[in-house]
Amino acid sequence: MSALVPVKCHVNGRVVETMVDARMTLADFLRHELGLTGTHVGCEHGVCGICNILVDGQTTRSCLMLAVQAEGHEIRTVESLSDGDKLHPIQEAFMEEHGLQCGFCTAGFMMAICDLLENNTNPSEDEIKDVLGGQVCRCTGYNTILRAVKNAAAKMGSAGA
Amino acid sequence: MAVRIPNTLNELPASQPRFVGRGIRRVEDASLLTGRTPFIDDVVLPQMLHCAILKSPFAHARISSIDTKEAEALPGVVAVLTGEDVLRWSYPAQSAPEGWGSHCMATDVTRFVGEPVAAVAATSRYVAEDAIELIFVDYEPLEAVADPFEAMNSDSPLVMEDQGSNVMMDRVFNWGEVDQVFSDAEHVVREKFRWHRMGANPTETFGCIAEWSPLDLSITLRGSIQSPSMFALGRASTFGLPPNKVNVISHPHGGSFGGKGGSRGSDITCMLSRKADGRPVKWIEDRIEYLTSGGSQAWDRHYEAAIAVDADGIVQGLDVQLVDDIGATGDMYGAICAAKPLAAFTGPYTIQAARYDLKLVATNKLPSGPYRGMGPPPHFFVLEQLMDRAARLRGEDPSEFRRKNFIRSDQFPYTIPSGNEYDSGNYGEVLDRVLELSDYTEMRANQVKAREEGRLVGVGVASAIEPGVFDWNAYAIVGMQGTGVPEGATVGIDVMGGVTVRVGFALEGQGQYTLVSQLVSDFFGVVPEAVQVVQLDTQSAPPSFGPGGSRLGVSITGAVLGACEKIKEKMIRVVASLMQCEPEQVRLLDGKFGVEGVPGAEMTVPEVAGTMLARSDLLPPDVDPAPVATHVWTAAGRTEPDEEGRAKSYLTAAHAVHVVQVEVDRATGMVEIQRYCLADDCGTRLNPATVEGQTDGSVAQGIGAALLEEYAYDEDAQPLTTSFMDYLLPTVFEVPEIEKVAVVTPSPFTPLGAKGCGEGAIHTTPAAIMCAINDALLPLGVQTTEVPASPRRLWKLIQEAQS
Repeated sequence: MSALVPVKCHVNGRVVETMVDARMTLADFLRHELGLTGTHVGCEHGVCGICNILVDGQTTRSCLMLAVQAEGHEIRTVESLSDGDKLHPIQEAFMEEHGLQCGFCTAGFMMAICDLLENNTNPSEDEIKDVLGGQVCRCTGYNTILRAVKNAAAKMGSAGA
Repeated sequence: MAVRIPNTLNELPASQPRFVGRGIRRVEDASLLTGRTPFIDDVVLPQMLHCAILKSPFAHARISSIDTKEAEALPGVVAVLTGEDVLRWSYPAQSAPEGWGSHCMATDVTRFVGEPVAAVAATSRYVAEDAIELIFVDYEPLEAVADPFEAMNSDSPLVMEDQGSNVMMDRVFNWGEVDQVFSDAEHVVREKFRWHRMGANPTETFGCIAEWSPLDLSITLRGSIQSPSMFALGRASTFGLPPNKVNVISHPHGGSFGGKGGSRGSDITCMLSRKADGRPVKWIEDRIEYLTSGGSQAWDRHYEAAIAVDADGIVQGLDVQLVDDIGATGDMYGAICAAKPLAAFTGPYTIQAARYDLKLVATNKLPSGPYRGMGPPPHFFVLEQLMDRAARLRGEDPSEFRRKNFIRSDQFPYTIPSGNEYDSGNYGEVLDRVLELSDYTEMRANQVKAREEGRLVGVGVASAIEPGVFDWNAYAIVGMQGTGVPEGATVGIDVMGGVTVRVGFALEGQGQYTLVSQLVSDFFGVVPEAVQVVQLDTQSAPPSFGPGGSRLGVSITGAVLGACEKIKEKMIRVVASLMQCEPEQVRLLDGKFGVEGVPGAEMTVPEVAGTMLARSDLLPPDVDPAPVATHVWTAAGRTEPDEEGRAKSYLTAAHAVHVVQVEVDRATGMVEIQRYCLADDCGTRLNPATVEGQTDGSVAQGIGAALLEEYAYDEDAQPLTTSFMDYLLPTVFEVPEIEKVAVVTPSPFTPLGAKGCGEGAIHTTPAAIMCAINDALLPLGVQTTEVPASPRRLWKLIQEAQS
């Protein structure tokens, strides 16, 4: 029912070159073929944003992209954020501000926030909300996530200064 | 061994608790933040197969035939399950009310859209989904019923033919002299209300992996399971197995809120595994399945209610008639949501008498289930609308009208007409604090100005009770049995002084493992990072229910502190023997055992544990050498329900008052929340940061309930809300900053004085927002009685008012 197609891309800095089922979503490829299960799937119809990853640095729904479309692109997932036992400033900020409860949606938020803060370490409240508005969280009510973004922006801003 | 659990923080063996009572960082976060926490879909087992389920497109149809030949022939398909197998291998599910359960799959007639009709286990989910498209079912459509009032008519199609009626339950409860207080009343305020079906929608849907062991007839079931021990009992009942033959291994899950569901999918995967000679079978529910046929739908209610107010403006009576549309079966336990209001029927008020005329009705909609709050949120929406109307009738401010009806702080413990006892509270103080926080007088002054400008600005003040620490006896009226909900923990200290706590539930988001670490750290003088919390499966765990009914914070505190106390007692005997003194002279403080009157005679907890485990030569002969203890906590003083359903049920009564300012857009009917303020009192706050997190999240869900969320069906019971494009969850744009202030009135009855807090805000938020919207609409002379107050509904009301 489905053909295998070659795909070559970079995932978290490493080259991945393999055959993939033509109809497989990128989310399923990352999770079930590469074992990168930190990316979670919430709706599989592009609304909830939980499966957000970065494709060439841009926030992308991994459930709406096929694995074959990753050909030639740079993919980053939550597994790329921390460095050994050192958490990324965004992860630290989420922990400090209690920006997560069940933690299922958190990777999606962090990747979208990564996209934001790598391009703008001093975002306005509206700019932050524009990014957060693309995703749902059912636990936190967003107040602490908003604080986590501001905290992370301060951390990343001062690190880059 | 009788154990005394500390009721206050001062009773902990710490000169000053360093962790309990503080908003410390969560021990579970590092793993979650790095994507390492194993959610169920991350788990891969050898030889594992994947399940896809074919679901009924009809709300009511007879299955004439099923042809699975092509599906079975598809390469990669290992097993196909149909109703025939299900009839052979399983029993209908237990239900509330009793007798309204069905098999996990339709066996002859489908009763709701999305009911499983067949299922496949294959080598990949993609192949399994291909295969279900190759199953051919002939349906003979039958007339469906989607409206509970139609369903009660004698000529209605029957959802369950054997029952002879669609009325699952029809009973009137009278608590106190209801007729009297209504006939004596100065004012009677009566109104009809409609609360539409909505529900949990955790970000992770349900998922499981089942393994059937053909040799010893046992089941291993892994999954995102909120209540593992209940789930084991459920499967045991389905398959006629002893419960100890079903081992449930719950995985950390992406929220639940009572609405994880999954019983049908679990039973199906168990039987697919049986058909596949015991190979593990995984089923991950997709979002569309969750929305149309998962555990998500709750509270589909039609109310007519009244309050009786005396000449002094004191509310004396409450009369509630509820027609609750339970959906096709009772096996998702939506009925218990109609029973739970008994635990706080009259809210925070001194109402003397109450009547509950309760009809549970079956329709061809998805069976309804539990959702955070379990039923009181619509009940308090109704009560608070009536309170506002009464206040208006009397020309009194809604906040002051509530204040004079509050139970006073010197009246606790206070028994309400429906039988439950409230433990403690200071309702006037809670009101004062939120009025202060919101600058209520100023808010009202601004409202006057806004009205002068023609803007529809409204202020809502609502107050509610959150019953905490649920008890089965609260649900006796719908047939649930039992009193008490035990929760156990095993605490052990190793030879190096490390503390491990074993519990029977999985991470779900509330930070319970952090709480456990805080408690143990202050008890034994260690740091939270030194405490390891381990989750046990149902075959290994002490009795445990897990999270639910605002209970786990209190219950696990009781269990952990009880186990710690038992270890302390054992250690005291060891220390007394080594120090050659009497046990009564030995005292634990800040991680050290000291001897009264002998300065410097000290042993640390690790030293004592090490001695017990590795120096048996030094131990007294009659001492138990294990620095390990299990304690199972259950709420004391709970009572058996009487004929009218009255019992001491939920142990704690938390209280809140919310003040919200909204503006309704005349042109669009959109509601903007301009300020959201609340004060709440849930007793001692064991981790204030996680308590606030629970409150924020619960407010957000309350906002969704009030403004956005609704499962719509057409007249043939076809679901119309089948994706997140139709079922709207609140985003950051709908949830404003939530301004909060805490009042702390410890419970006299609980470990450390804590009360249940996980469900609090959703009890109050919808009521407060609806009060605010109706306050905003006042100049137009219209009121809304329907939740959610969607733009479409409000726009229509505004148009009617202006025409």
